[in-house]
Amino acid sequence: MMLIAGTVPDKNMPLTVGEIGSDGDYLAVGGHRFPCAQGTGAMVSAALTVTDYLKLNRPTVVVAGDVGEGKGSRAIYEYIIQNVKSLAPRVLALHYWLPDMALTRRLCDAVEKCDERPIMIADAASMYSAKAAGMASRFDIFTPDATEMAFLADPAATHPAYIARHLFDTDITKTPELVDIAYRNKNAPKVLLVKGAIDYIIRDGEIIETVDQPDVPALEAIGGTGDTITGLVAAFVYAGLELQEAAIVAAKANRMAGKYARPTPATRVNKIIEQFPVVFERHLCEWSGECCITGGENE
Amino acid sequence: MGFLRRKEKTAFEGDGLVLFADVQAALKAERALKRAGHTISLVAPPPRLRKGCDLAVAINLVEQPGIERLFEEKDVYYVAIVPLDEGCSELLDIVQVTDFGNWTMVKAGNMKLSFDKGSGVIVNTSGGGCPDIPVMHAEMIGKKLDEAPKPKEIGFTLCALMLHRALEECLRLWQGSEQK
Repeated sequence: MMLIAGTVPDKNMPLTVGEIGSDGDYLAVGGHRFPCAQGTGAMVSAALTVTDYLKLNRPTVVVAGDVGEGKGSRAIYEYIIQNVKSLAPRVLALHYWLPDMALTRRLCDAVEKCDERPIMIADAASMYSAKAAGMASRFDIFTPDATEMAFLADPAATHPAYIARHLFDTDITKTPELVDIAYRNKNAPKVLLVKGAIDYIIRDGEIIETVDQPDVPALEAIGGTGDTITGLVAAFVYAGLELQEAAIVAAKANRMAGKYARPTPATRVNKIIEQFPVVFERHLCEWSGECCITGGENE
Repeated sequence: MGFLRRKEKTAFEGDGLVLFADVQAALKAERALKRAGHTISLVAPPPRLRKGCDLAVAINLVEQPGIERLFEEKDVYYVAIVPLDEGCSELLDIVQVTDFGNWTMVKAGNMKLSFDKGSGVIVNTSGGGCPDIPVMHAEMIGKKLDEAPKPKEIGFTLCALMLHRALEECLRLWQGSEQK
């Protein structure tokens, strides 16, 4: 099972768990719908395009409505803490929620008690809470952008709004230095995919590959295009690719989908997501080195 | 006879402190925060942060904007909200601007806001990771910069505060270009 957890922007949506389905521009689970837009929606939608294309089981999601007050977030933390052992996911991808260091520690402890430890992926505020709680090294993959990479490199910051000024003032080409600091302070997971004008794929502190083509600058302005990368990474890991391979293929696929969509800063993320099946059809064999990826559980 | 199993309780770990001028204000703040559903604890501030009395409220720093708004609504007077970690810097106050031809993107911290140079309409928001950010993405896109809801007023988190800073800078840039 691939388990994806995160909040959705609907105050009235209760904690809901189940296999995700699509319903036009919306995602559907347990009789509820949420938009395929910036946040958990974009991340899940991207993962779903991979599982559907490769005919794998669709992601199971743990979602709850939360508009910033934290109640839905805490319900998600508690659900995973209580159930991760019995659910036994192969991949656990954490996304939008209100960062809570104590609950993150309990969640990581619960994961350690699983018979087989899931592959742990975090992005957005779940990555913030993992780093703030000192739990980053227990994760397998983070997908920060350049500012979030500076946050991981700042040993004192518990949120990107509080990173030291000199770290914020750097550009993407300074990523190798920030990566070095983050790994020295044990504030990084096994693999980092740093998103930016140049995407850096790093394993255990070593830069494995950079991806800078096709160059589609407008993607940075489009809300959700970082979320889609995380969804792709999670799904490619679930499909059986090695961690760093999944990160490389995800970076390439996101850029190529951007190129096909011919976006402006006003484009919505669903226009990028629509391109993924075409991108997979044309490029996935070449990028992954195999034309049939069979690591996940097939339908 | 079986033992009653105590429900597991998570000890609260705040990464921010609210400082007060007197103990009464701290206690009033505690009541207001608990009634509003915030997880907090009363603590003694470290000596370097003692600005008034020796009672402070530990908070989850990411909830700072929502807490500030609650204090305003409930007339709770406080001295400052500060990060708990000694090495932490002040809240990031610099912005970066990217020119996309017909559009401008302003980045404040981890948040980005893009608008149409001609009409002043917000065309996208991106970045962040707290739960109120997708709400603001939906609420702000398609509205003019000076008519859109203010993240500081409808958001609860530090991501919202950064988006607010981006909005303020966009407004400044757009209004400046209008006057030329």
